[in-house]
Amino acid sequence: MEKRPIIEVRDLVAGYGREVVLRGISFDVYPGEILVVLGASGCGKSTLLKLLVGLLKPMSGSIRYWGKDIKKMDEDELDHLLHKIGLSFQDGALFNSMTVGENVALPMVEYGNMDRELIPILARMKLSLVGLTNSGYLMPEALSGGMKKRVGFARAIAIDPTIVFFDEPSAGLDPITAAGLDKIILDIRRLMELTMVVVTHELDSIRSVADRVIMLDWGEIIFDGTLAQIETADHPRVRQFFERIPDKTIL
Amino acid sequence: MNRDLSSKESDHAATLHLSGDISNTVGQQLVNDVTRIASRGNREVSIDLKELPQLDSRSCAWLIEAVRAGRRLGARVSLIGAHGQVADFIELMRANFEPPPVPTFYRDGFLGRLGGKAIEAWDEARVVGNLIIDALYWSFLGPVGGRGLRWKALLAEIQEMGVGAIGIVCLINFLLGLVIAMLSAVQLRMFNMQILVASGVVIGFARELAPIMTGIVVSARTGAAITAQLATMKVSEEIDALKGMGLNVAKFLIAPKFLSILVSLPILTIMGFISGVAGGFLLGMLSLGFTFDSWWAQTLQAVKLGDITQGFVKSFFFAMIIVIVGCHNGLRVSGGANEVGRATTRAVVMDIFLIIVADMLFATLFYFTT
Repeated sequence: MEKRPIIEVRDLVAGYGREVVLRGISFDVYPGEILVVLGASGCGKSTLLKLLVGLLKPMSGSIRYWGKDIKKMDEDELDHLLHKIGLSFQDGALFNSMTVGENVALPMVEYGNMDRELIPILARMKLSLVGLTNSGYLMPEALSGGMKKRVGFARAIAIDPTIVFFDEPSAGLDPITAAGLDKIILDIRRLMELTMVVVTHELDSIRSVADRVIMLDWGEIIFDGTLAQIETADHPRVRQFFERIPDKTIL
Repeated sequence: MNRDLSSKESDHAATLHLSGDISNTVGQQLVNDVTRIASRGNREVSIDLKELPQLDSRSCAWLIEAVRAGRRLGARVSLIGAHGQVADFIELMRANFEPPPVPTFYRDGFLGRLGGKAIEAWDEARVVGNLIIDALYWSFLGPVGGRGLRWKALLAEIQEMGVGAIGIVCLINFLLGLVIAMLSAVQLRMFNMQILVASGVVIGFARELAPIMTGIVVSARTGAAITAQLATMKVSEEIDALKGMGLNVAKFLIAPKFLSILVSLPILTIMGFISGVAGGFLLGMLSLGFTFDSWWAQTLQAVKLGDITQGFVKSFFFAMIIVIVGCHNGLRVSGGANEVGRATTRAVVMDIFLIIVADMLFATLFYFTT
């Protein structure tokens, strides 16, 4: 049986000011899968993420969650939707005035449907998933870049969302930590039945986590298929990406 | 009794059976049961998870709470019979069943803290000293010695700090002039000497009010902006980037600000002085009924060049206070957004305090020398 997609994106055009970054893209996200959005720097990956969580309004086209267009949602419905979404930012985006534990606990405290006594336990559980079990008392400024990213990750899954968006989870991390993070992504998916959209350009990371891959190039989707398919795809830009061939430079 | 939770107890051991999901009610009851059993002196408590279909974060958190509650009372709580997803989940969360270790912080004694404060104060004083030397060098000696000055940045800063502040400085001084004139007019009416309001306003503004008010307005406006800008640059590692490129922070950032405020503030003070006196004029002519000529004559007769010079000289020192305090507080920030806010507050408070202290020193000096 064909599963119904959770997210349907149709003919999405978006950008900043008058500049168009995404030129009409369409794709679906199915429940329980890990979809990797791939592409070189500046191809519109992060813009796509901002659109998906409503931080940016599309110029045209539609984004539907469970069949409902986010443009047509009112404030309450959008809030409700965002409570089911976790978002992990590139550099963590932690609140510097709070400890690591408070950062992770924040959505649980604010959404207010959680037993108070459970919150510290849950926050520590999420931190233990990213290998920072006993770091809850630290302030973000005491963390390294990779640790911040992992805390951001823990915060994104704090409320057990249905969908998690990861912006560059392994960029700028050492290979050991990056591999660890990939394992965490797989563990979390397996044990919590999450759907994930991972934006990245790290080849190793793609190979270990992706169920399905879409590749963006200059604001268009040039590939949409499984990991096995993309490894053998013959689109020149895809080949260039996987074989790490630089653009021709004129000297 | 909940149908998802049942218990069997013997003399020294108890087993709790969980079936179905752990809702919040079941979880709470589980914790209560474990507490009850353990406080009766049972040393062995098992929680049987054989019939638990699956585990999510919240259910797992209840299990953790139950295990820890038992251990706090000295009982050994074990989870038995977990399989499949439940076992995997518990394995993943294993570390959480131990209570978090209490972090230890080193704490100084009273003398240690006192000494620490003294060393901190001394260090800060040294840093400020270096900053002043750097600022002076890169503003005056450096450019004269051919080491360059960022002229474009300097002009942009003068535009921002000086030209941009003319409106607010003039307005505030004008209104204050009006207020002072009204206050003194009421007092002098008793002696029918209201013409002396003109003298009071002009001397007051030349010596004290124009430099002080202008200084305070500029410190709130420009001093805060300097701190916020430098602090944000520090937090986002731009300052480190400059240093890393071998560029001199004092030359690149501080010298243009230093020179620009040194040029702007005295000019603004003179404008403020004129505006304040104009406020007095307005009241004298419209409300007290003096002619322009008589008020003007009284003003000219009262004020001496020394009064104006005094205010003018002070404004140079106020300018230095504002820029050094602003830069110092901006550059000493470490951390994040809240530190930027704190630094800005600290800068403005220090500015106003130091301006008043400097003013008092000048007043004492002039009092005893004239």
